[in-house]
Amino acid sequence: MDWRQREVYPFSAIVGQQKMARALILNAIFPSLGGLLIRGEKGTAKSTAVRALAAVLPEIEVVSGCPFNCDPHEYDRLCPGCKARVKQSVDLPIAKRKIKVIDLPLGATEDRVLGSLDLEYAVKEGKRRFTPGLLASAHRGILYIDEVNLLNDHIVDVILDAAGMGMNFVEREGVSYMHRAEFILIGTMNPEEGELRPQLLDRFGMCIQIEGIENPDERVRLIKLRERFDKNSTEFIMAYQTRQNNLSQGIMRAKARFSHVKISDEMVQLCSKLALDAFVAGHRADIVIRKTALTIACYEGRDAVTEEDVNEAADLVLLHRVRMPPPPPQHRHEEKEKSQEKSPQDEKENEKQEEKPETQNRREGEVRENQEEEQGRDKEESENSLSHSPILENVFPVGDTFKVRRIQMQRDRILRKGSGRRSRTRTSSKAGRYIMSTMERRTNDLALDATLRAAAPYQKQRSRQDVAIVIEESDIREKIREKRIGNFIVFVVDASGSMGAGKRMIETKGAILSLLLDAYQKRDKVAMVAFKADRAEVLLPPTSSIELAHKLLEELPTGGKTPLCHGISLGYQVIQSYFRKDPHIYPLLILISDGKANMSQYGGKPVSEAMEVAEEIKNDNRVNTVVVDVEKSGMISFGLAHQLSLQMGARYFRIGDLKSDTLVEILREDLLI
Amino acid sequence: MKKQKFIYHYHFTAIVGQDKMKNALILNAINPKLGGVLIRGEKGTAKSTAVRSLAVLLPDIEVVADCKFGCNPHNRSQMCQECINRLDCGEELPKEKRKTRVIELPVGSTEDRVVGTLDLEHAIKKGEKRFEPGMLAEANRGILYVDEVNLLDDHIVDILLDSAAMGVNVVEREGVSYSHPAEFILIGTMNPEEGELRPQLLDRFGLCVHIQGIADLDQRVEVVKRRAFYEQDPAGFQKTWKQEEEKLQQAIVRAKELLQGVTISDDILYLIARIAIDMNVDGHRADIMMMKASKTIAAFNGRREVIKEDVQSAADMALQHRMRRKPFQKPGVEEGKIMGIISHTHPHKHEHVHTHRHQHKKVPKIPKV
Repeated sequence: MDWRQREVYPFSAIVGQQKMARALILNAIFPSLGGLLIRGEKGTAKSTAVRALAAVLPEIEVVSGCPFNCDPHEYDRLCPGCKARVKQSVDLPIAKRKIKVIDLPLGATEDRVLGSLDLEYAVKEGKRRFTPGLLASAHRGILYIDEVNLLNDHIVDVILDAAGMGMNFVEREGVSYMHRAEFILIGTMNPEEGELRPQLLDRFGMCIQIEGIENPDERVRLIKLRERFDKNSTEFIMAYQTRQNNLSQGIMRAKARFSHVKISDEMVQLCSKLALDAFVAGHRADIVIRKTALTIACYEGRDAVTEEDVNEAADLVLLHRVRMPPPPPQHRHEEKEKSQEKSPQDEKENEKQEEKPETQNRREGEVRENQEEEQGRDKEESENSLSHSPILENVFPVGDTFKVRRIQMQRDRILRKGSGRRSRTRTSSKAGRYIMSTMERRTNDLALDATLRAAAPYQKQRSRQDVAIVIEESDIREKIREKRIGNFIVFVVDASGSMGAGKRMIETKGAILSLLLDAYQKRDKVAMVAFKADRAEVLLPPTSSIELAHKLLEELPTGGKTPLCHGISLGYQVIQSYFRKDPHIYPLLILISDGKANMSQYGGKPVSEAMEVAEEIKNDNRVNTVVVDVEKSGMISFGLAHQLSLQMGARYFRIGDLKSDTLVEILREDLLI
Repeated sequence: MKKQKFIYHYHFTAIVGQDKMKNALILNAINPKLGGVLIRGEKGTAKSTAVRSLAVLLPDIEVVADCKFGCNPHNRSQMCQECINRLDCGEELPKEKRKTRVIELPVGSTEDRVVGTLDLEHAIKKGEKRFEPGMLAEANRGILYVDEVNLLDDHIVDILLDSAAMGVNVVEREGVSYSHPAEFILIGTMNPEEGELRPQLLDRFGLCVHIQGIADLDQRVEVVKRRAFYEQDPAGFQKTWKQEEEKLQQAIVRAKELLQGVTISDDILYLIARIAIDMNVDGHRADIMMMKASKTIAAFNGRREVIKEDVQSAADMALQHRMRRKPFQKPGVEEGKIMGIISHTHPHKHEHVHTHRHQHKKVPKIPKV
């Protein structure tokens, strides 16, 4: 018995989340659907569901004892070992077992994912032999990556390679081997922790977004079930046994029916039409929709695919492929709130933006309609709220979102073409995650496992005394470690009353969001500090999540005095405390303000206090700074922000000169140095 | 076996004030399934002292004597692979009673020490691969304590996320493939001034308490006095506080027994669900935590039934870190809201259609300028 087959929460006892359950089952029925990505907030049974799935998966026949899970009935696809046995006309032993769910932990190293030299065999026999890794175990099964967005880029590359070809080619440590690696890739992630790379995203056949349940009855049912499970898990599982069996049999039946289900030409056309409407890249979406629709029909016990099946399939398949990225998932509460807090003036602003010609894609037309509808509602509500609430502070919308979206689309293309991003920072210090080894000697960071494997095959020839392995200079391997981050950008945003004038705050929010998107591409970390009225606050602790930042930007109110000094010093503090965690970052502080400090932190003159802090930052050579001046030129201008930038040794820009994308360009130059 | 060091420790009961923190820790001692505590607060507020002294309060556990993971000899479903194999071979597992461990995870820990790695000595001597367990193995069935958890390296955090959620440590690195049970109570302390915690890790902590230095002069003096007493005469200190300590220990044992029988009515469950919905928390972990915590609180108070007040204290601890605070919103607004929800509860849960949900939020609270 494997200890890991412990008591897990039964799949059929998961409350709600039907879409997720459905998508998982569909993948279990027909493995070539291409896997599933589950995106959702924390605590929505994502991981629980995937781990519970193992218990209801159908059985397959394998060659018993074969580490590659060979199918005994397909000679062509056997691994070399099994083939050799057949050639010697040995009957392959056959075993029936459930499809396995293989866990890929985040700390996995390359040698365990791909497979490597068999250390023990090499020491004993002096010969090289391949020992299979996770990709081999996952063949004909499910490869599950929890928190897939946190996985190392290098490991992602390795998995993408194998997933793309359905084969794993290993050429390392003097072992040369290839075997089949066809697996269902299932990943779960919380977008709050950062996004997924587009290449990896594209690998998933389906993608769904899940949320917590709103219905109180369902919620209570959920708590009760959980309580029962915690009290006596064995009993609980027994109680659900029949349902589990039914589900299991349903999957088996659907699997058996697969070859009988038909799809009419009309429906195939509908698949392609839906894909076209979503403006997807390539043809993978059409194909996956068709397959998914077929699978749905199978599971429903129908002989032909209906329109509903196709629609449901498109829903599962298109979410991550729609070329205009799905609007950041907004929670119902916030949606309402946001609209309540908008003032009619901003509404007009928004409409103006909407009226700009949109030639980019057809889908936007639809979206615009929806938004206009919403805005109609918004207006009513905002008028309501205006009537009984005094406005001391405003919450401005995030400006220029369409522009931002366009940037994101371009990003999609660029990334698909090349892989030349500098996301991987190989560190010379011994920090970071060990991903692979090298023969180069530079850091004294011994990779023990690789060294042993290098030495192992020669042990028969070397004279060994008391030890099993003698290591010579030439065997030594060092670790290559990977770190995620290179740059660290801290925005210090003025949210005082003066920023409310004109479109300043809207522009500023738009610019920040563009920068965030750019930072995401490069896997930079971003933090945000805002200051207004009597204090400054860290809005966004260092993160790489655009979603989180977007939410916060939306909610950021404007109004009150300008505690500039507090803002700058807090931004500087954020950088300093991050240095403590990681001394290898390249921090950049971006101050967006008009420089009109009028709130003192220590009781002195507000402006001179700000200047003092600025000088302190200038003296810290590790920190680069940029000041973006939002003061409108033309009228009486004070030029305080410019003075401040000189004092800080910062690069100086006016917001008028900056379209959001040029700002991005400038920063790109700045950071690459 | 390592040498048992005997050090006089500071007593849990001798900590002045900080009742919220002590409460949260005691609740975890009663019910390890609460999922740990995150203690947020400034420096020098007895955070670490409290956690270390908690270990002494915890009841002894029975383990398989020679198992690296401290498996429970009576529960097959919680055992590691080796223990299961030994049972299958008909072997009698040697048993032993020992203290619950507190494993400290230093901020600078390396990944291989945390998850475990290839056993160097064994590999070189025998030419065989063997897994050398790391801190997660030691922490199984005990407490994993991370001081300054917000300064932990990101990739170590990732690993913690993995195992804290599933109670399993899966190792696929450096040529070793191994997995073992790693069920631990995660206790973290942090000073929010030095940076925040990542949302996903934040959610892994069952409860969260916020503590501050004591403002009361007399109490402050008392803190200093007790500390001086402890440093000058540890043995005497020990003696003085022994009785208190034992009393608490017994209370924990009693609550542990009572916990099994604590019931929770539907009304209360609906109240919990409503709080979670109205407070706009992500996911369902908050509901489950509130349920577990309020049951534990009831047990600690010697009751067999959960009452509203239990839910209130539970909500305070379970929601602290799960609510999204809006920019520039004054902290503390939310507590009032929870109170409001609790006092407004209607006994007829089914008829209560929740339509006025957004009214609380319509007018944002405006700090006076």
